[in-house]
Amino acid sequence: MTTIFYLLAYFAFAAFFALACCKIRGYLAASPLHVRWEIYPVPHEGKKAAYGGSFMENSDWWTKVRHVEHFYDILGIFKEVLLLEATFKHNHTLWFRTYPFHFGLYMLMGGSIILFFTVLAGLLGASPLWNPQEMEGFVTFIHNVLNSVVLIGALAIFGGGIALICRRMNDEGLAVYSSREHFLNIGVFVLFAFLTLMTWACNADYVILAATFMHNLLTLNFVPQESNLFALSMLLGFFVLLWIPLSNMQHLLLKYFMYHDIRWNDVPTQASVTNQNLIPDLLKKQVTWAAPHIAGDGTPKSWLDVAVNVPNKTEK
Amino acid sequence: MNKHLQIRDISTVEGQLTTVQENDLPQQRLDLKFMPWKPYTEEQKQSFACLLDEVNVLNIPVPKSKAEEEDLVNRFLTGMRKLFTTENNFTCLPMLQTSMDNCVQCNSCSSACHLFEMSGENEMYRPNYRSEIFRRIYKQYIKKEPFAKWRYGDLGLNWKTVARLGELAYRCNLCRRCAQTCPIGVDNGLIAREIRKVFSQELGISPKELHEKGTVLQSRAGSSTGMTSQVVKDNVEFIDEDYSEITGIEVHTPFDVKGADILLLHNAGEIIAWPENVAAFSVIFQEAGLSWTLSSKCAGYDGVNYGVFYDDAQLARIALMHMQAAKELGVKKIVIGECGHAHKALTVIADRVIPYELQTPRESCYVTLRDIVMSGRLKLNPARNDFPVTLHDPCNIVRLMGIVSPQREILRKIAPKFREMPCHGVDNYCCGGGSGFAIMSRNNIEEWRGNITGRKKMWQIGEAFKDCLGPETKKYICAPCSNCKGQIRELLAHNDLYEKNSFAYGGLVELIVNCMDNVNPGFIKWGEDE
Ligand code: SF4
Ligand code: SF4
Repeated sequence: MTTIFYLLAYFAFAAFFALACCKIRGYLAASPLHVRWEIYPVPHEGKKAAYGGSFMENSDWWTKVRHVEHFYDILGIFKEVLLLEATFKHNHTLWFRTYPFHFGLYMLMGGSIILFFTVLAGLLGASPLWNPQEMEGFVTFIHNVLNSVVLIGALAIFGGGIALICRRMNDEGLAVYSSREHFLNIGVFVLFAFLTLMTWACNADYVILAATFMHNLLTLNFVPQESNLFALSMLLGFFVLLWIPLSNMQHLLLKYFMYHDIRWNDVPTQASVTNQNLIPDLLKKQVTWAAPHIAGDGTPKSWLDVAVNVPNKTEK
Repeated sequence: MNKHLQIRDISTVEGQLTTVQENDLPQQRLDLKFMPWKPYTEEQKQSFACLLDEVNVLNIPVPKSKAEEEDLVNRFLTGMRKLFTTENNFTCLPMLQTSMDNCVQCNSCSSACHLFEMSGENEMYRPNYRSEIFRRIYKQYIKKEPFAKWRYGDLGLNWKTVARLGELAYRCNLCRRCAQTCPIGVDNGLIAREIRKVFSQELGISPKELHEKGTVLQSRAGSSTGMTSQVVKDNVEFIDEDYSEITGIEVHTPFDVKGADILLLHNAGEIIAWPENVAAFSVIFQEAGLSWTLSSKCAGYDGVNYGVFYDDAQLARIALMHMQAAKELGVKKIVIGECGHAHKALTVIADRVIPYELQTPRESCYVTLRDIVMSGRLKLNPARNDFPVTLHDPCNIVRLMGIVSPQREILRKIAPKFREMPCHGVDNYCCGGGSGFAIMSRNNIEEWRGNITGRKKMWQIGEAFKDCLGPETKKYICAPCSNCKGQIRELLAHNDLYEKNSFAYGGLVELIVNCMDNVNPGFIKWGEDE
C-alpha cells in the first residue's frame, strides 16, 4: 500500500508534466503562424501603452526601427497573474472571492517549490528540514515561514473557495454557466485545503511531515506516512495535479500564450523573415471547406488556389 | 418568451426563443424612440428559421423533413471539425482552441458588451452565451470529452440549435471589447466570427449583403457598390467638378498614376453616399502637394473587405486584389481612407495571409493626415471650427490597431471645442453597425440597430455634449469611418436628432477642409444649410 502511495505521487508529477507539455505542444502545433489578432493596449509599446497606442501610429512605420519593450510585457503578465488585475477592474465582486483563492494557491505552490529545494539542499549537505533535531540556522527560519505559508494559504483557499461556490450558486448570471465541473474543481480545492488545515491543526509540525515525505520521495525511501490526514490530503493533491491540465484550470499553463502569442503578438511580417518564409508554406495547405465558393466542387485545392482563383465571375 | 435563458434552451424551446421590448431598454439623456419590431409573416415563419428573436440575418431555410434536419446538423458538425484542423483554419486555430479550453465562466466580460447592457441584460447577449453553446457542442460532439454530459450538462443537438447558433453569431458586432476585459485571454468576438465561418465556408450560408452583394460583387465588378471602374472614374470626375465650385479650389483627383508615392484606397461607398469625404481627401492631398493616386483596377478603388466579418477565403481574395492594384502602380504605400474594417483587413489580417513579396506597406489615413496638418503645409484657421466636436473611435482602428493619438492630435489642433466621449480610445464602444450590420436593413435589422446596437453610442454622444444639448448649438460628431457614419446617420435621422440637437456628423477630412483658409467657408453643412 505504501509503495502504491509513493508510486501514485511519482505518477501524478510525471503525468502533470507530460500533460502540460502536451497542452503546450498542442497549442504550438495548432498553427505555425496565425493571423495577427492583437488587441490594444499592448504593454511592450512602452509609453504608447498608457493610452493603447501602437507602432502603426508612426508614419512610414516600416522604415523605422521597432522598439519592443519586453520588460513591460513581463510586468503586465506578472500584474495579471499575481494581482488578477483584469478581474479587479471588470468584476470587483468576484475578485474579492477569487483573489484569496488564487492567493492561497500561489502560497501553497510557492511553499512546495521552497520545500523541494530546501530538502534537496539538505540532501546535498545543508541542514535537514525533515529532521527537527538537526535543523538549524536559515533552514529553521524557512521551516517557520513554511508553516505560516501553509496555514495562511490553506485558509485563503478554503475561504475563497467557499465564497466562490456560494457566488456561483446565488448569482443568477453565474449560475447559468456553472456546470458540475466548476463545483467539482473548486470543491476539490476546498476539500484539499480543509484536509491541509486539519493536518496542520492535528499534528505537531506540518512542515516536518511534508519535508519527510519529500525526502522519502527523493531518496526512494517508501515508508508509511505518520499522519493519515496528511496522506489523505496528499492523495487529493495528486488528483488535483492530474486534473489541472485536463480541465479549464489549464489556463494556468496557457495564459502566457494567450497573452504573449495572441493578444500582444503584433509582429508585422515586414519585421520577421521567419514569418515571411512561413506564409507561402501555409498557403500550400489543402482546403476542404465544402461551400461552393471554396472547395465545393470537390477538386483538391490549396489556400493559394482559393485566393487566386475567384469563382465569382460566374457565380450569382 | 423567456429573457432569463438557460444554455439548453437553445435546443429545447419551441418557436421564438427570446425578445427585447421597449421597457427592457435603459433610458438615457438623448430622446431615443423605440422602433417597433415588424412581426414575422406566416410565409417567413414557414420558409425560414425565425427561432431566435425578432431579427433574421441569415434566413436559414426551414428543413422540410427529418432527413433535411439531420443533414443540417451533420453538415454543421463536419464544418466544426474542419474548423479545428490546421489545414482548414491555420489562420485562427490557436485563438479558437484556447478560447474553447480556457474560459472559466467568470462573466467578467458581460458588462463590457454594449449589446448585453443595452438589451436590458438579456441573457442571449451575454458575450459568453453563444460561446458556451458552441463550446459545449465542441466538447460533447466534436472532441467527445469523457463524461462531457456529466461535466458540462447535456446539450441536445438538433437543427434548431444549429439555426439559432448561426443567428446568434450575428448578434455581435465583433468589436472585441469583451475580449479586452477577459482575465484569461478568451475571445468571444473571435468565437462569433468562427461560427460565421462554419456557416459561410461549409454550409454556404451568409448574409447576402456581405457575400453575394458584398465580396462576390466586389470580386466581379470591382466594388461592393456595383460600380465598375468607368463608373467610379466618372463619378469622381463629377465630384471634382462639384467641389471645385463649392470649395473654390480647382480639384483634380488623379487615377492610375504609375510610380506615385501613395495609393489612396477609399471605401467606395463614400463616392455614392458621402462625396464630400472623397472631395475633402482630394483637396487636402492636392494642397499638401502629395504624390498620390487612386486606382481604377478591379477592387483597387474600393477598400471594403467584408470577408473580415465572415469568411477567410473571401477575405484573402479581396486583400490580394488590393495588394495587386498597389503593386501594379508601383506605389510606395497604400493609405487607407476613412474605413475601419478596411484598415484592419488590409493592414493587420492580410499581413500574415498575403505572401510578403506581394505586399505594399499600408498606412492609416489618420497618420498621413496628422503629418500633413502638423507640417504646416495647409493654412488652417481653427476659428472656422468653433463648434463643439466629439470623436467616435472605430473599433477596428483603435482597439484592434492601436491608432489612437493621430486623430486626436489633429482635432486638438483644428477644433478648439473638441471634447472626448466617455469611454474613448481603446475603451470605446462600437457604433452598433460593426461587422457588416451598417449595410443591412431588412428583417428588423434596422430596428435592431436603432433599438439595441446603436444605443450605447448614442449614450456616449449625449454625454459628450451634455453641456450643449438642444437645437441652439451646432455640434459635430466626427466619425472617421464609412460604416460607422452610416450607422450614426440612421440613428440621428430616426430620432430626429438633427433638428432636436443640431447635430452634424462626418469624417475627419471634412473638418480639416472646413478650416482651410483658402477654401470657401461652410464646407460642413448642418440640416438647415443643406
Ligand atoms: S470569456 Fe473570459 S471573462 Fe468571459 S466568462 Fe470566459 S473567462 Fe470570464
Ligand atoms: S465582440 Fe463586442 S458585441 Fe460581440 S460579444 Fe463581445 S463586446 Fe459584445
